[in-house]
Amino acid sequence: MPFPDVKLANRPLHFLYLCDCSGSMAASGKMQALNQAIRQSLPGMAAVARDNPEARVLVRAVSFADRAAWHIETPTPVDQLEWRDLQAGGITAMGAALQLVAAALQTPPMEVRALPPVLVLISDGQPTDDFAAGLEALRRVPWAQKAVRLAIALGHDADLEVLQRFIGTEPATAGRSPRRPLQAGNATSLAQYIQWASTAVVGAASMPASRVSETPLEPAAGNIPLPDLPPTVLDPTDDVGPVVW
Amino acid sequence: MNWILPEGASLGFEGLAAPLRIVRGLGGGTQGQVYEVELEGERLALKWYLPACIARDAGLERRLAASIRATAPNDAFLWPIALLRASPASRPLIRIREESFGYLMPLRPPAYVGASEHAAGRLAIGLRQVLRACFGLADAFHALHLAGLCYKDVSLGNLFLEPCGGGILICDNDNVAVDGADHGAVLGTPGFMAPEVLLGQARPGADSDLFSLAVLLFRLLTRHDPLKGQMELAIRCLDEPARRRLCGEDPVFIFDPVDARNRPDPIEHAAALITWPIYPRPLQALFEQTFCRGMKQPSRRALTGQWTQELARTLDQCRLCPACGQENFLAAGAPALCWSCGSPLPQPITLALPRGAVLAAPDNELHPHHFDALVGEDLRRPLARVVAHPQEPRRLGLCNLSASAWSAEAADGRSWPVGPGESCSLAALIRIITPAGPIAVQRPIPPAPAA
Repeated sequence: MPFPDVKLANRPLHFLYLCDCSGSMAASGKMQALNQAIRQSLPGMAAVARDNPEARVLVRAVSFADRAAWHIETPTPVDQLEWRDLQAGGITAMGAALQLVAAALQTPPMEVRALPPVLVLISDGQPTDDFAAGLEALRRVPWAQKAVRLAIALGHDADLEVLQRFIGTEPATAGRSPRRPLQAGNATSLAQYIQWASTAVVGAASMPASRVSETPLEPAAGNIPLPDLPPTVLDPTDDVGPVVW
Repeated sequence: MNWILPEGASLGFEGLAAPLRIVRGLGGGTQGQVYEVELEGERLALKWYLPACIARDAGLERRLAASIRATAPNDAFLWPIALLRASPASRPLIRIREESFGYLMPLRPPAYVGASEHAAGRLAIGLRQVLRACFGLADAFHALHLAGLCYKDVSLGNLFLEPCGGGILICDNDNVAVDGADHGAVLGTPGFMAPEVLLGQARPGADSDLFSLAVLLFRLLTRHDPLKGQMELAIRCLDEPARRRLCGEDPVFIFDPVDARNRPDPIEHAAALITWPIYPRPLQALFEQTFCRGMKQPSRRALTGQWTQELARTLDQCRLCPACGQENFLAAGAPALCWSCGSPLPQPITLALPRGAVLAAPDNELHPHHFDALVGEDLRRPLARVVAHPQEPRRLGLCNLSASAWSAEAADGRSWPVGPGESCSLAALIRIITPAGPIAVQRPIPPAPAA
């Protein structure tokens, strides 16, 4: 006879992409690379979600160019997610994107109980609107304060200072260097970072991974210990010349 | 996945006479990547470490070498077979610059699935199989602890279940070390770690294994976490500091008989409330022992041998509800209601044995430990199994799974031989004499007529 039809209680884990879709993203195939990287990362993300029954992983995405808009507005279970391609064109309304996310992380619509949300900001340039006001709005929301905030800088023109302000400054602890924006210089490293954020980081935020003694046992500045970045795997395509932006 | 080892290639390794073919990548995590490999026609698994993992864990290679020499405590472990370093000729084919190594282990058969599938309610598995898996887990840790070793990092992530038979496999055995001797790098997985380890007051060892084992058993048996009750509901954002409070600083068992602060919520934690009453009192008491007094006193936790004994007894007490067919595990004797449908359970026939008793219900088994006080509980070599008559399922018999003939005796003194593979009807018998020892067939005493 079957085991009683009961399930482990779980909590939602909100994962939000904030994607730069400004005109410069159209150059050198960056927009296509980002669309590909996210699409390719979904099966791995779904597998992590399956392996973490304590979490209900829900994905949303905001795009920002001339204005910020929901690309995926409904929190969508990752196994049901279909990634429609983002289109590049316009300027960089990053501040407005942060305002949009800040509103979404208010309770309600946010649940009373959840796992720390994961926010991933991907940009290749400078904000053209009031970034400071957007960041301030985000910082006032308790769920955004609890969120794991990651930033990926695409190419050499990304504003690292702005991305650093988004993830916040965190002092170096227990031998770990302070967190910095991830710098993706080519399509391969972009795909690796997106994969890392959508699998390893989601795993760490939903069900804690095995701990080693190097991990500070004292509560760290961050509320989720971030997993190691992916190792630099020698890419066979490097031999034929990397796609350098 | 970016595979570090090239799929499809044959690589040479130091100490291996034949090349190893990398068949395909199976998975990867923060420690390393696992591959299916072929060595001289045999399929094996290879775990290859990331340089960051090796750098963090100075004792890793030494520990693995010691485990390989010691060999597996029992066959439930996917134990390291050989430590591998790439030969100079194959070194350039490995797609990381830093020096690295890996180890060979048996390949997990496809019928075994991750235990988190059960926790998520996605696995079709029966109660009896879950109890058998729990027994297998406790038995594996019993063998490990008796060998003087400890595992250090038990969690749902390194346990695999075979849902049809309730078999188990334990992977990630690379933290195993002699208890108290080797301070490896691993501390455990939050949620399974003993409070004293989570708080940094102790290193993981056999005592903290006992805590983690009890958490894993509880999660398998209830599909719920032993520390997630009202106190978890009071937490809005379940992040690291919150987990530290819940599992380390102020851990309270949801069924603590004295401290009621962390009772399950009837809606959010329904799984725990539905499943906990299924299990007999002595089994519940081992959880209370580990999660109440043993919470802060590691030496008071239930030992592996106590778990195997009580889980084996629970299986001996299995009987089926005549109304709904669901398995019930409460002790015979006292009147009992089916946990699933509430129907009264009739008093069953009991097979009284030199050591313990087994209720007559289909698929219940008699094992050597039921006859010999000197052998430990072991479910791998049953001597007999209760079977339903093929034409009349209500008639129960006992099938002789041993290699010797039995003698079945009726109340009037007549007796029949029961050869290996044959079954005898329990309805007519009072006793079965086997080379292992006698089996007394005891019928329930009919209720006294009302005065």
